[in-house]
Amino acid sequence: MSEAQKKVKVHVDKVNKSYGDNHVLRDISLDIAENEVVVMIGPSGSGKSTFLRMLNQLETQDDGTIVVDGFDISDKKTDINKVRENIGMVFQNFNLFNNYTVLENIMLAPVELGKLDKVAAEKKARELLDTVGLADKADVSVNSLSGGQKQRIAIARALAMSPDIMLFDEPTSALDPEMVGDVLEVMKNLADSGMTMIIVTHEMGFAKQVADRVVFFESGKIQESGAPEQVFNAPKNARLQEFLSKVMHA
Amino acid sequence: MKKTSQFLILSLIAFVSLISGTAYTNASEKPNYVITTDATYPPFDFQDKNNQYTGIDQEILKTIAKREGFTYTLKPMSFNAATQSVSSDQADGVIAGMSITDERKAVYDFGTPYYRSGIGWAVKKGSNIKALKDLKGKTVALKTGTSGADYALSIQKEYGFKVTYFNDSDTLYNDVINDNAQATFGDLPVIQYAVKNGTKLKVMNPKAPIQAGWYGFAVKKGQNAKLLASFNHGFAEIKKDGTYDKIVAKYLGASAATFTGSKKDNSTVMGILNANRNAFLQGLWQTVILTVFAIVLASIWGILLGVMGVSQLPWIRAISTTIIYLFRGLPLMVLAFFIYIGLPGVIGTKIPAFTAGLLTLILNEGAYTAAFVRGGFEAVDRGQMEAARSLGLPYSKSMRRVIMPQGLKIMIPSFINQFIITLKDTSILSAIGILELTQTGSLIVSRNSQGFRVWAIVAVIYLIVITLLTWLSNWVEKRTRA
Ligand SMILES: Nc1ncnc2c1ncn2[C@@H]1O[C@H](COP(=O)(O)OP(=O)(O)OP(=O)(O)O)[C@@H](O)[C@H]1O
Ligand SMILES: [Mg+2]
Repeated sequence: MSEAQKKVKVHVDKVNKSYGDNHVLRDISLDIAENEVVVMIGPSGSGKSTFLRMLNQLETQDDGTIVVDGFDISDKKTDINKVRENIGMVFQNFNLFNNYTVLENIMLAPVELGKLDKVAAEKKARELLDTVGLADKADVSVNSLSGGQKQRIAIARALAMSPDIMLFDEPTSALDPEMVGDVLEVMKNLADSGMTMIIVTHEMGFAKQVADRVVFFESGKIQESGAPEQVFNAPKNARLQEFLSKVMHA
Repeated sequence: MKKTSQFLILSLIAFVSLISGTAYTNASEKPNYVITTDATYPPFDFQDKNNQYTGIDQEILKTIAKREGFTYTLKPMSFNAATQSVSSDQADGVIAGMSITDERKAVYDFGTPYYRSGIGWAVKKGSNIKALKDLKGKTVALKTGTSGADYALSIQKEYGFKVTYFNDSDTLYNDVINDNAQATFGDLPVIQYAVKNGTKLKVMNPKAPIQAGWYGFAVKKGQNAKLLASFNHGFAEIKKDGTYDKIVAKYLGASAATFTGSKKDNSTVMGILNANRNAFLQGLWQTVILTVFAIVLASIWGILLGVMGVSQLPWIRAISTTIIYLFRGLPLMVLAFFIYIGLPGVIGTKIPAFTAGLLTLILNEGAYTAAFVRGGFEAVDRGQMEAARSLGLPYSKSMRRVIMPQGLKIMIPSFINQFIITLKDTSILSAIGILELTQTGSLIVSRNSQGFRVWAIVAVIYLIVITLLTWLSNWVEKRTRA
């Protein structure tokens, strides 16, 4: 099955963003298909996070068009909350709700937004805890968890809304090395289940393994993109070559 | 705009009046007037040992009211507040040892002058000082801010004496008696009263007050003509039949303990506590009531303003910021005077002192509360809001379910701190005549001159209440943590 036959989930067209004089995103265009796993790499400050956060409008663009699930979210009149219900996001710093237990964290959004009743939400939350391997942590306070556990709970929380797109912003960067594997495994399973995923990461091995496509950001531009074998093994762009030689030696 | 803000102020006042239970009722047939007085100006106005207001002014007023067939509600407060209440329509008349001056005649209509007063000077009993010229090289003790002090300074060069200042009369008189200073200047009847009450001083000009003037009963210019006429008519009567002379003689001729209680009652802490138990309890009750209402209402108002301060809409944030800026910037006492004395003239409604005081506290403490509430919300990690929004929760739901619970937890110590400040701030409201603990202390001291013991008692009561409040707050805090 070729890319063109698949349904487009995310359509980005000529998006620009500046912070004052700092032109962070320059004329970015990118389409992402259903079930596709896209990994974004690039040096610090190249605009990866800004771009990712624009896909659920945590940041707003200065101009350009962003269509997600058929909704033009760059249009102010679109009800962004409704669209966000279908876009899960996982943050580098987890951002679990400190005032709730693990179970409450996962149940909050489905119950508050009337998507599930309490009983159904709890059932679903426990199932999700099971899939991320933390069934025994349901009733503990989130502050008692390790980083790796927190991040898996955060993934479960995002999945509780049954999104069809998941955004990850460096989900393993704040973790101790021995925790990274557990989180990546959960993400790999998710990818295998057919979730559309957009992942910012520095885990090159993981990128090679799960990515359908790797996108290289530099100076607010997509300098190169393609299948992992091509991007990692036969990079054309000089800056990508330089970037890869740095991260591979590190 | 003006209409709506007026409406808002009025409804706020109505609301506060309602909850504080001080709504006005006027059922009686006889005219009832609100008369203000100076709470501490013996022998003219002061509390006797039963905490009833008495003195030359009070007896004159009471006698005239009875004969002329009107009733009145007495509002004792500071002299300044007493006079300003009348000029701002908060009260109908004032009797407070108030000198008739041309300046005041522009604002007030005075009744028949009822007492001739002026400055007197006194020396230690048995002193060999006979005339002002004997003061050369001597020291004169003065009370700060009095007309007696002003006068002494004006003749200081001429007679070549040194001066020393005191804040309370008792210490000042003792300084003269102990020969640290050799003379003092002050209001003649006030010194005479102290002498009659056993102070070992000799008044040098009992019959010839310096810069003599008259005291008068006053109403606002052009108003309350009927009240003024009643006063004048009644005064003529009591002057004619000798009642007036009896009243004056009673106070200026009274022996030490008649009004102020026995020596035993005043010279020990237990004696003072016993003799003034009711006064202290009532003062404490007012303080507690004010504090409780203020804490609850200021917290509600402060949280509301604080929430507005983190609104998504810039103009709502601007309103919040402006209100906080305004009421944090104003000194509490200025705000109290503005509401109690300034506002009634503009909105045309009287505001009872308790209501005005409570409103003052709500606005002032509420602004401080709002500032730390807003700060508390802002102190919650930004990621919490982003996570909530990324799940599709609207801003308001994210605030309510995620940010506010965490913010409130951060704020708990600030709340406890603010509660204690509120309790202490109630003492400032003594300025508009609310008879809370501090004002109660002033009244007792003005009667028994036992400043050290009375203020020690008052201080200890405050500390006890603050300790209880802190315990209660900490207990509540622990419960919310659990
Ligand atoms: N809120 C903001 N205000 C001002 N400048 C910002 C803001 N957010 C990001 N930037 C700037 O935009 C540029 C891109 O930032 P971004 O976070 O998107 O980079 P990144 O590629 O995610 O980097 P990293 O790998 O370090 O996370 C940087 O220069 C950053 O300083
Ligand atoms: Mg980033």
